[in-house]
Parts: sequence; structure tokens; C-alpha cells
Amino acid sequence: MKLSENPIFITQKRLVHRTGVLAAILIAVLVGFCLLLGLVGSQHNGASNFRPPPVAGKVFYGWDMGIEILVLVIGGFSRIARTLADDRKAGLWDSNRLTPLKPGDLVIGYWLGPALREFYMAAVLAAFGLIIVLTGGLPITLWLGTQILIASTALFFGLLAILAGMAFQRSQGILIFLVFLFACPFSLFAPSRMLTNFLLPIYGIGNLFNGHDCTNYRSDMNWSDRPEIFGLPVYPILLSLGLQLIIGIFVWRALVRKTANPFQPLLLRWEAVALFVILIASQHALLWDLWRGKFPSPAHAYYGFDDFDLEALLAIVHGGTIFIGILLLAFASPLPERVRIESLRLGFKNSGAIFSRSAVALALALAAIAGAGLLTQVMFSLADSFQIFIVTAINLAEIFVVFALLLEFCRLRHKRRALGFVALWLFILCVIPFILAGVFSSEVVAHTSLLSPGFVALSERNGSEWSLQCYTVAAHLGVIVVLFIGWRRQWEKLLAKNS
Amino acid sequence: MPDPLLAIAHLRVDFPEVVAVNDLTLVLEPGDVCGLIGPNGAGKTTTMRAISGLQEFTRGSVRVGGHELAREPDELKKRLGFMPDFCPTYDQLTASEFLEHFGRAFAVSNRAQRIEQCLELTWLTDKRDSLCEELSRGMKQRLVLAKTLLPDPQVLLLDEPASGLDPLGRIELRKILLQLHDAGKAVLISSHILSELSGFCNKAAIMERGQLVKFGTIAELGQQMGKRRMSVKWRVEEKNALQILTASGAVKNLEAAGLGAAFDFEGAADALDELLKTLVVQGVRVCEWRGLGDDLEQIFLQSGAKELM
Repeated sequence: MKLSENPIFITQKRLVHRTGVLAAILIAVLVGFCLLLGLVGSQHNGASNFRPPPVAGKVFYGWDMGIEILVLVIGGFSRIARTLADDRKAGLWDSNRLTPLKPGDLVIGYWLGPALREFYMAAVLAAFGLIIVLTGGLPITLWLGTQILIASTALFFGLLAILAGMAFQRSQGILIFLVFLFACPFSLFAPSRMLTNFLLPIYGIGNLFNGHDCTNYRSDMNWSDRPEIFGLPVYPILLSLGLQLIIGIFVWRALVRKTANPFQPLLLRWEAVALFVILIASQHALLWDLWRGKFPSPAHAYYGFDDFDLEALLAIVHGGTIFIGILLLAFASPLPERVRIESLRLGFKNSGAIFSRSAVALALALAAIAGAGLLTQVMFSLADSFQIFIVTAINLAEIFVVFALLLEFCRLRHKRRALGFVALWLFILCVIPFILAGVFSSEVVAHTSLLSPGFVALSERNGSEWSLQCYTVAAHLGVIVVLFIGWRRQWEKLLAKNS
Repeated sequence: MPDPLLAIAHLRVDFPEVVAVNDLTLVLEPGDVCGLIGPNGAGKTTTMRAISGLQEFTRGSVRVGGHELAREPDELKKRLGFMPDFCPTYDQLTASEFLEHFGRAFAVSNRAQRIEQCLELTWLTDKRDSLCEELSRGMKQRLVLAKTLLPDPQVLLLDEPASGLDPLGRIELRKILLQLHDAGKAVLISSHILSELSGFCNKAAIMERGQLVKFGTIAELGQQMGKRRMSVKWRVEEKNALQILTASGAVKNLEAAGLGAAFDFEGAADALDELLKTLVVQGVRVCEWRGLGDDLEQIFLQSGAKELM
């Protein structure tokens, strides 16, 4: 269906226009005009602070682009998520779903319709951006590259906004931004090595702005180098577009499936696995050149890491891996009631069938993938790094399995209050040991945290820690066994209802 | 034999702590207007949502015009109109724009003309250019009904369609439903106000706690009824009439009142006819003979579903 014939798009466009777009456009014109005036003024002012002249252009274009990102990406995201959440609440989403419109047409309508005001404003700012770039003597490729990245990020976040609108209440969609905001400070330690800088095209934009400032020394703190995938340099803009496209396809599939049948899980198992493979492979490919499989020995001499250790990068990636894994498990974990209904339908009652449907099996698969990713960093130094690898990989598996068991156990046991109890148990398992360590001034207590073994193994190479790590990992296995018994009993209780 | 317009077989919907709909089977033929009756929480809305595809069901099948929901949901959407018990409208659209939206979505041919027809049918022609947010609840209800009628579906599911309507609106709704009946549509309509449903429903489905307690034509259900409260009036003083009634074993709780009486009749419809015949043959000049309360109310009250709202 053509966009101009899409009823959802037409209606959303009508609604946007009815509430007025002129004021918004005029604000954008005013902002763009002020920035342009500022640039022209600085160029004619002998006492200008901007030397050499292109710096002035970059500063003013940077402001223009920043406002454009704010309006288009953040404003657009918020508008789309809010519109969809409101329409869901009002029953309009269901009314539209009952029409013969294809799920894809529905998604496109909500993707491109509600944020039209923000699109118009961004178009005005982009036009002023072009004038600023030309006036400031900057290469047109800077404007073209940044605009492509902004547009692709806006579309990518538009899809995420629909996801947020479908999954959350009106006010909760902003959580997605908080996730990225949380990740940003860590990713800025080594801009060209962190995946988040390409999903959000921070590095791509930074690279375009710093294109003329190439330095000859090797450093991971500058923004001029091309990122490397397994040592092969790639254009950051292409990497960002590629990642957003691939992940966008997964999000699109999830949205279309969920629109067609809202009772399906957001992510199918194979999709969760594939998505995790892509993310882990990309991240470890970006890191590859640091150690070339010989972690913790650096492959080159590096500059720019005065304040923090190169090895901590892998610990940051380990943290990111845990976060993404838990997120995917939460999305792909089935609601117990759905499994019960499936069991009613298909007649299964045994634990084996439950295991294959629960997120526990997926947790093991994700842990294996994460382990394989980690292995690429240590595969040529296994003799030295075996302990690091094995402790980290087992710890990852433990974290994923504990989370999957805990989530399902709490959903089965506490139903609507499940998330609160999951948070409580995770707090006890992960954070309390650190608090107790502070209280008793004992580092050993901190090592008992579920999170500790992997981070300790990656950041410390003290042989004396090895036995402590082994004991901790074994103790966590004990936690898993206890959780597994409770988890299985809850499932059996649920399925007993069917008989 | 052609497929029935709506065929639901062994439908079951599970909620976490309750079976919301259990083993529901019903069939609607062209021209059937079926009242779905039951107390709050009986599963009426869940049944309608399950038929329309908004609620997942555990077992069973839903077929509309021979097309099964599970296999051909798109075919089903073209043939089914669902009006929920609330009024989802785009507040910032006018009534005609709202209908235009759904006209496009359903790819309705002669859209403008059909929109006018539906606005006229629901008495909203003069509100064509009013924003939805300016419409009263009853008007919104009529607008959503217009939206449901717009694609001319074969089967209509109307969940409490009269709940927000004023008396005039209810009379108009009755007319619309009779038109749909004449046009050979199948209509499943739920309401708490049974007097609204009687008069145009030729079938009734009574639900309680997710179960279909009774289903059939009004005539069939009337025949199945164990007892019904009757009222009889005669023109002049007739002592004979009371004796005849008392003599009948099926007459209980006889209450004489002036030139007439009220009584419970426990027997088949044929026996009731026979009683009337006896009165007339014995010379009683009967001037009124009717059931107290309409058929649906009587059927419902005797179905075992007690909590009528």
C-alpha cells in the first residue's frame, strides 16, 4: 500500500495538522536563522574566538544538528510512543487491527504519521544546516553524512518507539533512552570500540566532524580513525547504518508479528539468538584488534589510556553482554499462563516440554554465544588466560540462568508483583554482598556477589583469587539448584490446574 | 447446504484464575438476531472479543461465512463487524473523517456515498462536521455503530450497543437491527436490558460463568421453559373462569384480580394453548391473554442465571 493511501498515515497526518504545525515550523526557522546569523556574525567579527574559520562553522552546525537530533530522534520517539500508547488505551489500536489492513501498513502508519511535526521541524533545521555548512566553508559531505545518520537513527528509534508504545504505558517508553544514556559514559572510554557508539551514531557523527584532525599515533581516545571489524577498517557511517538496518529488521519483524497476533512473544527464540549473535559478534569484532586473540597482552602500543586500564574494556563489554542478555531473556521469556494454555491445547504435562518452552534453555544458548565471543579474545593465549575465560563464561551462564529461573519463578509465584520480587532477589544476589563488604570491610564478601566472578576475572589477574573464584562459582551453582527446584515445583503446580 | 454465517464450536477462553468461556457452541444463520444474555462476568464480552480475534482462545473454532478465524483471519475481518461496549474515536477528527478513516481501511467502494448512508442511518447527518470530542456519549455510540456498519459486514457483534443511547436512540437502534435482520445479516447482540432485545431477537443465548446455559430460537426456548407467569382478563364477571384455571394441574399461584387473574403455568406451550381453548369453549369472554414480562426476561429468569443487572 502506498503511503499516500495508508489510512493510518492519512489520519495521523490529519491529526498533526489539525493541532497546528506552523508555530513549530516557525520556531525551527527562528532557531536556524539565529544560528546562521551567529555564524555570519562571527565570520565578520575580527575578534572572533573561532580560529581557524571552519571551527566556527562546525560549532554552529553542531548546534543546529544537536537541536535537530533532539527534535527528531527524542521528540519523534516520544510522540510516536505516546500516540500508540494512547490509541491502545482508547481502543483505537484494536479497532484498526480489526480492519483488513496488513499489519505492516498499520506499523508504517504509526511509524511515519504521528511525528510529522517533528519531521517538518527537522527538515527546516537540516536546510539551515546546509546553509551553515556552505557558509562556514565545511565540506558538503559533513552535512550529507550527518543528515543520513540522523535520518536513519530517527527511523530506527521510530521503530523502537512503536515497540515501547506496544509494550509499555504512556510514560514508560522513555526507559529506552535511559538505557542508552546509561551505556554512553562507558562507551566513551573507547569511542571506536564500543557498539553503542554505532547503534547511536555517536562515533559516525564525531568522525565526520573530526575528519580533518587525523593524527599519526594509535589511540582509542580519538574520533578520527576508522573503526575496525576484525582488524579491517570500515567507514563508521556504514557500520552505523548496517547495524541499525539489521537490528531494525528484527524490530520490524517483532512489530508486524505482534500487530498480527498480540498474544505472541515479542521475540521468537531464534530471533533472540540471532540478535544476540549479531550484537556479540559485532562488539568482539570491534575489540579484536586490541588483543588479536591474545588477551590480556595488547597487540599494539596504545596511547590515551592514562586514566584507565585497557583490560577494563573487556569488563565493560562483559557488563554490556549481561545487560543485553538479560533484556533479551526478559523479552523472550514466555508468560506462564501462555504455557499453561498451550499445555491445555497440546496436552503436554512433562517437565521436558516446560524446559524447552521456558527461557532457561535460551539462557544457556545465550551464555554459549557470549562465551564464544569471549573466546575470540583469548583463543591464542588460552594457556595463560584459561582461568579468566572459564570463570567469566561460567559466571555469564550462571547470571543468565539465575535470571531466567528467577523471572519465571516470580511470575509463577507472585504473578502481577513478579517484577518487584525479581528486582528484590537480584538486589540480594548482586548488590547486598557489596554493601556487606563495606559494612565488614571485607573484600572477600564482595566476591560472593553473582556479578563478581566475571568482572574480577577480567580485571584482576592475581593467582590467589583463583580458588576464591572457584568457590564463588560453585556456590552460585548451588543457588541455581535451589532456584531450579522451586521453579520446577511452581510449574508443576500451574500445570496441575489443567487436570 | 451453505455454511452458516457464524459458527462457533466448543470455544474455550482461559484467564489466569478462571475459565472465562467454556465449551461454547452456537450457530447463526442469515437473518438471525441473537441476544447474548447473562449477568456481569458471564463471559459475554470475552466471547465477542474471541470471535472477533481480539481475545486468544484455548480451544474451539470460529467460522464466519465458512472462513475460519485461525486460518483466514483476513477473510474474517472483511465479513465481521465488532462494536465494543465503549466508544473508541479519534477526538480530533470529525464524524465524517472518522468514518472515512475506516472506509479507507476496509477499502469500501463508493466511500463518500456509503459514509452519508451510514450517517443518515445513525441520525448523525447534521453532526457530519462536528469533532468527535464534541459529540455526546450517545452520539459517539451511534458513530461507532455507523463505523461498524460501514463495510456492510455479514456478521455483526454488538456489545451493549444501547448502553449510552437515549430512548429515541434506542428506538432507532431497534429499527436498524430490524433492517439488518431483513437484509439477511447475522447479529449477535449483548445487553443487560432484556426489554431492548425482545421484539427483534429471534434467537437467544444465555450465559452464566462462561457456560452457555441455553441457546435456541425464542420459540424453542419458550417451549423449554418449565413455567411462565401469565395474565388473563375477561370482559364480564366469570366465576367459571377461575374454576377452569384452578382445575388445571399446570396452573400454580393463581391470583384473582378484578376481571382477570395472574398465574404461573408449568407446562408446555401446547398445554397453554389448550388451556386458552378450554376457557373460550366454556364461554369465558377472554379479552387479554399474555405472558407477564417478555419472553426473553422469562427465559432468562428461568435459566438459572440469577444476577440480572
